[in-house]
Amino acid sequence: MAKFRNSEESYGILAQVLHWCVAMLIFVQLPLGVYAANLPVSLARLQWLSYHKSIGITILVLALARLAWRWIDAPPALPDTMALWERRAAHAVHWALYVVPVLAMLAGWLYASAAGLSVNWFGILLIPDLVAKNAELAPLFKALHHGLVGVLVLLLIGHVGAAARHAFLVRDNIVQRMLPAAWWGKK
Amino acid sequence: MVGKKVILLRWIWLLPAVLCTPVFAAEECYTAAATGGAVTFRVMQAGAPYTGTFRSFSGEVCFTQGRITRIDAALDPASVDTGLPELDAALKEKDFFALREYPRVTFVSTSVQSQGDTHTAHGTLEIKGNRREVEIVLRSQPADGKISVSGSLVLDRLQYGIGAGEWTNTKWLGAEVKLDIRATLSRKQ
Repeated sequence: MAKFRNSEESYGILAQVLHWCVAMLIFVQLPLGVYAANLPVSLARLQWLSYHKSIGITILVLALARLAWRWIDAPPALPDTMALWERRAAHAVHWALYVVPVLAMLAGWLYASAAGLSVNWFGILLIPDLVAKNAELAPLFKALHHGLVGVLVLLLIGHVGAAARHAFLVRDNIVQRMLPAAWWGKK
Repeated sequence: MVGKKVILLRWIWLLPAVLCTPVFAAEECYTAAATGGAVTFRVMQAGAPYTGTFRSFSGEVCFTQGRITRIDAALDPASVDTGLPELDAALKEKDFFALREYPRVTFVSTSVQSQGDTHTAHGTLEIKGNRREVEIVLRSQPADGKISVSGSLVLDRLQYGIGAGEWTNTKWLGAEVKLDIRATLSRKQ
């Protein structure tokens, strides 16, 4: 049976589902944000930015859930076959990948609030503003949002690159720990 | 026709009294100062409230013994300030205020009922060449020899052609627009 909690060899169902949901949403969110922000003022821009903001709120909640779950359920330790610097780099990037999306999301939320463009989550739930409308602050939050997203993109390149290295070059079981096969194959 | 003429003649002796009325119940007119006021709007965008401000407007309000007798106001849609320059520019284009053709929004009262400091004004609002009869409830308060006036009005932007083309989609841009008016009136010299 598939394991709900993490084991020593692999991540459990909950950690995997949260990881892949956030991964998928971030890979939709990044091009969506870039595309929408570069549209001229139009109904399409209003719609896509609205979806961008709703997805952002979703990512924030899921990212916080991942942090909480990581705290409750310790992830599998990295094997000794990895060099110390590799394990340190992996930990640093993992932690940054928990924190930076949350910060990028908060900066986006601050920007939307300061611009006066409040968020209604998929037309279901009106999200409160973090700050009052402020035309001077809005460009600063916008720049902060863009900067943090830039950092996130660099982290993702590092993360995906490292995963590819483990899967195709090092050929250890690091990547498999986050794949369903890790528990599908086992009883 | 003959009957009407006779009636007019029968009442002609009242004419001097009518002409002298202003002497006894003088109409005092005030103008809206350029500063100390604003017209803000509130509309729903993507299911969330959005507000903006019109900075420039002018107007004349006349009182007779504390009762408003006449309101004549104009607003400059070019002074729209949403805090987002791109949006301000879009609002001046033809889908919204079409400034080149319609540089002014006007309101002219047809009748005003005053009860204490509350005034219910009926009149014609003209936006983008579309005229509608509207009711605006205003409250007046004396302030340092001036009069501060505030009021609000809810209108359907589609009746005035504000948000044409794709913007007629009210799921993403609400039809209902609430205007809040604040003005400081100074005695006309």
